Amino acid sequence: MLCQHVLILLPLIVAAVELISPFFPLAGHRICLVLLGAVFLIVPKKCGLGNWRNVLASALLSGGGAVATYLLANSLSLGPLIASAAVGLAAAVFLAEQQQLVVYLGTFVGMTSTLHFPSIILVAAAGLIGGVLWEVLNEAWNGVGGRLGTLAATAVLAILLTFGGGL
Amino acid sequence: MQLLTGIILGLSWGFAGHTFRQKTKLSAVAVSSLLTLAAALILPGMFVDGPLFALICTAVSYVTMSSTERLNRLWETLMVSAICALVVFFGQNLLVGIGGRLGTFAALSVLIFTVPKAHKHLITGRR
Repeated sequence: MLCQHVLILLPLIVAAVELISPFFPLAGHRICLVLLGAVFLIVPKKCGLGNWRNVLASALLSGGGAVATYLLANSLSLGPLIASAAVGLAAAVFLAEQQQLVVYLGTFVGMTSTLHFPSIILVAAAGLIGGVLWEVLNEAWNGVGGRLGTLAATAVLAILLTFGGGL
Repeated sequence: MQLLTGIILGLSWGFAGHTFRQKTKLSAVAVSSLLTLAAALILPGMFVDGPLFALICTAVSYVTMSSTERLNRLWETLMVSAICALVVFFGQNLLVGIGGRLGTFAALSVLIFTVPKAHKHLITGRR
């Protein structure tokens, strides 16, 4: 359970690093490196993955939501808010409640700026990670509004910390 | 004035979200999407600072996705909506361009309210 909290707290820790970075410019990079180590070395060993079919289904739903939102927001110039809401409404009409939530998580990933994700491949990768996180962190922050966004931000930050992208 | 307007709009969106969740059979995703769509379409055209207010109201729409175990009563949702408006306003330069940042702010607001509530006995000394 502790490892789940470590992972889901990632966006808040990065925000805190952003806040203190003017005072400790070098500390920010070191903290990010430690976080990267935590995400990719400790967490997969400690947090169990459930049924791989559920993980795959969630990853695909989340990735689909992310790509659809990114395309609507940037190719059709709808902007991230309208694009996310449109994909969320479509999911609410056609999918079951649990699946709606996973697609909505993906839409948050797709709201990432083109400055951070210039390529749709990165968006799809972050979306897939978002779906995996949905399955891995199933016990963390249950019932907390904004949990999906936090999972999405964790997925986006995991990609950005790995591949770079202007953090 | 900007902050006050943001809080008032946040409270309005929180009220609407809570009412939709309690009085209709719409799912949490549908309610949040409708509120986000309304905020993104209406507010930027109405106010000079409309884009910021749209962000505040969108984050509040995520707050209203909380379960009834976390936020059951209207005053609780309104309190967290106000906290969320403050968090978005003062955190508007953090995590810029990162998808999920508004959700993170919403979750932070809910936790600021619900964690002390859940551990009230530690402060009052009574269970």
